Amino acid sequence: MSVITEQVSTSIEALMDEFYIITHNLANVSTVGFKRRCNAFSRVLEGQESSEEYSPGSINLESAFDFSQGGMVETGRELDFALFGRGFFVIETAAGPLYTRNGTFRTNQNGQIVDGEGRIVSGEAGPITIPANVSLSQLSVSSNGSIRVGDTAIGRFRIVDFGENESKLVPVGASCFLMPEEGIVPVAAEDVVVKQGYQESSNVRIVDELVDMIMVCRLYEANMKFITAQEETSNSIMGVAMG
Amino acid sequence: MLRAFSTAATGMTAQQMMVDVIANNLANVNTNGFKRSQIDFQDLLYVEMRESGTEVASGVTTPGGLEIGSGVRAASTIKVFTPGELQSTGRPLDIAITGDGFLQVTLPNGELRYTRDGALQRNADGEMVNNMGYPIEPAITIPTDAVSVDIGKDGSVNVTDTSGTVSVVGTIQLVRFPNPSGLSSEGDNLLAETEASGTPMTGTAGENGFGTIQSGFLEKSNVQMVTELVNLINAQRAYEINSRAIRAGDDMLRTASNIAVR
Repeated sequence: MSVITEQVSTSIEALMDEFYIITHNLANVSTVGFKRRCNAFSRVLEGQESSEEYSPGSINLESAFDFSQGGMVETGRELDFALFGRGFFVIETAAGPLYTRNGTFRTNQNGQIVDGEGRIVSGEAGPITIPANVSLSQLSVSSNGSIRVGDTAIGRFRIVDFGENESKLVPVGASCFLMPEEGIVPVAAEDVVVKQGYQESSNVRIVDELVDMIMVCRLYEANMKFITAQEETSNSIMGVAMG
Repeated sequence: MLRAFSTAATGMTAQQMMVDVIANNLANVNTNGFKRSQIDFQDLLYVEMRESGTEVASGVTTPGGLEIGSGVRAASTIKVFTPGELQSTGRPLDIAITGDGFLQVTLPNGELRYTRDGALQRNADGEMVNNMGYPIEPAITIPTDAVSVDIGKDGSVNVTDTSGTVSVVGTIQLVRFPNPSGLSSEGDNLLAETEASGTPMTGTAGENGFGTIQSGFLEKSNVQMVTELVNLINAQRAYEINSRAIRAGDDMLRTASNIAVR
């Protein structure tokens, strides 16, 4: 009997985690550059329904980020950049580099390109400074990330790719990711196109999330039914035993 | 469950803020020199439920950890300084800046403010003022005997007097900022310098990256009605979906409490 309770409580806990993940994805449906978390749990359960072996604790809730491409939304703003393809912008912080797909940049009082928090966006050769006598409307950014004013190049965005190690990135909020493992060095991204005047919208698909949410609610209910059923069973057994 | 409620609530608050920003953009669809705002959302901090690389069974480690996010926040609004449409008015004192630059006006307390609204007027003393009556900087006085006023592309104010002689009475200067999005909006179409905007650089229209001045035109708002309405629909739907998540969470809680009270 206690095995059932244990199994039920494991899956209820996992379902709750999944519900949190879904609500977080839904809250970020309009966050630029946001990458949804996969909620693999319901899929794992689906897979296990058919398999014969089932033991509590074997549920491997693999909640990795879904780094698939978000939509391209045109804003027309000179300092909005969207990445199409694999790659991240690099943000310089005192605690080391952060990686982001949110290319809503600004300039600071010194004319350097910074992110929304005022942290410097890394260029191939240090921070990118827009000369004081240049207006933002004169900037043109080519698809490889190099920034030009007329015919003069003033810098190039550093865009990196983690390849296989992408799944090891850890989110730190503000659409930024951190690479916790020291040994992993990103390489320059190759298959990526920078688009000026666009933002990459969140890759959360509302319908998918809602379907998952319904699934989680139903599974949760079903698990609760188990507890009720177990209670009834034990009651009736007690009834038989006590006469 | 409380976490899911507060996460969905952050989503609803953020969408509400987006509606506020859109409403202000839409309200200013006919304001001269108005620049629309764009709201920037960021995901909130993540709570690490399980680190990546944790051993779940002997010899088996999780490939990815389990971090659960706590929602979204509106990080900032950004003014988008794309040019608005130019509308021909035929009034010689209406000026539009095509390209970069702001006009400067002096407040009664001597401070400077910046604007793209070029609907200038003449006050009783002949000074060129904006429509709030603040004189432009540097001050330009149009003589009372002027028959016609003509503003050149470089901002020079040419005056023809009764005898037909043309003289230059002053030049309108433009100002630029390293980070115009950092300017703070003061209402009345005026912007103020902040630490984030950087120090203003003055110059002549048409030089060093400054825009040119078009007399007889006004720059309209750069708000695109259709874009704003589409954004409004998006915000409304996203709000709805977040409230749906709260309801689903509530249903789950009810299921649990039903069992508890049996």
